[in-house]
Amino acid sequence: MRVLSWITVALAVGVYAPVSARAEHDHGGGHHHPVEPVSSIGAGVGLVAARYDTKVYVGDYEGVLPTLTWSRGRLGASAAVGAYRLVENGLTRYGLSDVVLSGQATVFVRGPGMAGVALPVSLPVGNHETGFGMGHVMVMPALWGMVAFPAVRVGGSLGYGRAIGGDTHHDHGSWPLVDPMNLQELTWTANVFIPLGHALQAGAKASGGIPLGEGRNRVSGGLRAIWTQGPVETAFEVQAGFAGDPFLFRGLLESAVHF
Amino acid sequence: MRQLVFLVFLVGCGGTPTPTGTVCPDPDPGTLTYDNFGKPFMEKYCTWCHAKDIPRSNRNGAPIYHDYDSLLGVLQTPDHIDEQAGAGAKASNDFMPPDRCPSTHGGALTVDCAQPTEQERQQLAEWIACERNRPHTF
Repeated sequence: MRVLSWITVALAVGVYAPVSARAEHDHGGGHHHPVEPVSSIGAGVGLVAARYDTKVYVGDYEGVLPTLTWSRGRLGASAAVGAYRLVENGLTRYGLSDVVLSGQATVFVRGPGMAGVALPVSLPVGNHETGFGMGHVMVMPALWGMVAFPAVRVGGSLGYGRAIGGDTHHDHGSWPLVDPMNLQELTWTANVFIPLGHALQAGAKASGGIPLGEGRNRVSGGLRAIWTQGPVETAFEVQAGFAGDPFLFRGLLESAVHF
Repeated sequence: MRQLVFLVFLVGCGGTPTPTGTVCPDPDPGTLTYDNFGKPFMEKYCTWCHAKDIPRSNRNGAPIYHDYDSLLGVLQTPDHIDEQAGAGAKASNDFMPPDRCPSTHGGALTVDCAQPTEQERQQLAEWIACERNRPHTF
């Protein structure tokens, strides 16, 4: 029951692990927990492939995205990183992305509704010069909420991201290449999912960032299908970038198990 | 065209230091010019990848619009060049050239890159500091 409850909430929000959060800075919208005083640990891995075309770089990337999650009662935490092969203007590079650590808390549960707060922080592990990382710490507090009805589940988040200790850089367009953000921005996500039966769910997602000060408005969206079998969740998602050059198109294959 | 001339003049106006802290002597001695320093420097170390006639897939990671096969191209990102390869009071940058280079323009990375000497990097910073202050018409 604990696992089923966890999965239900996670699927309702549409991103059941920070794998996809890492991939699109969707930190405020993912990995929310049921209110049960039992610890749950999860481990997942995602595969991502994308094609991008920014102001000064064109290319593609593929990545492996491992994640760890923990939850107990209203609290939760997660850690995620990506290992990428990145092709930029014909040059192939390999490297790690920034590490994202996140704490989450459910602060409101009533009927089909649930809401909470999240505080993701990215650590500048990825090489900034070559497009793997931001080059500085980012804090991205967010509010999230969801409503789950039997026939449809709707969720979303609103957050604020800010670089700590960062400065302005020579403008190379959307940056870093594998997961662009502005130095200061409002972040948002929205998603809707419909249960299809046979342990399948399908839905649509959108996310973005609105720059505060210099930067680019960023919007992406995608379709996601999720298959749940016991404690294992597997999802496939196709995404497209609509504004701000986050990517042209991207595919995600993710799987996670929860104990 | 007049707007471009004005912009180039505006960017260089005031004699502000480059990112490496290099300032053009006042008055500008004019000893380092595009013809006697900038062009041969760029051709020796940079334009293997940073040239406008090299397609995006063959630039070996060189950003688009960072083309140093002309003075105009250099003056579009002078501080960036200084940050990557210049040397001055505040920093000595050797991010560029990289370790491996093509043996032909836009070719595969098959040879070790020639590396500027510290003196050449200092001259690069000084030339940029001076050149961006000079009047240009393109």
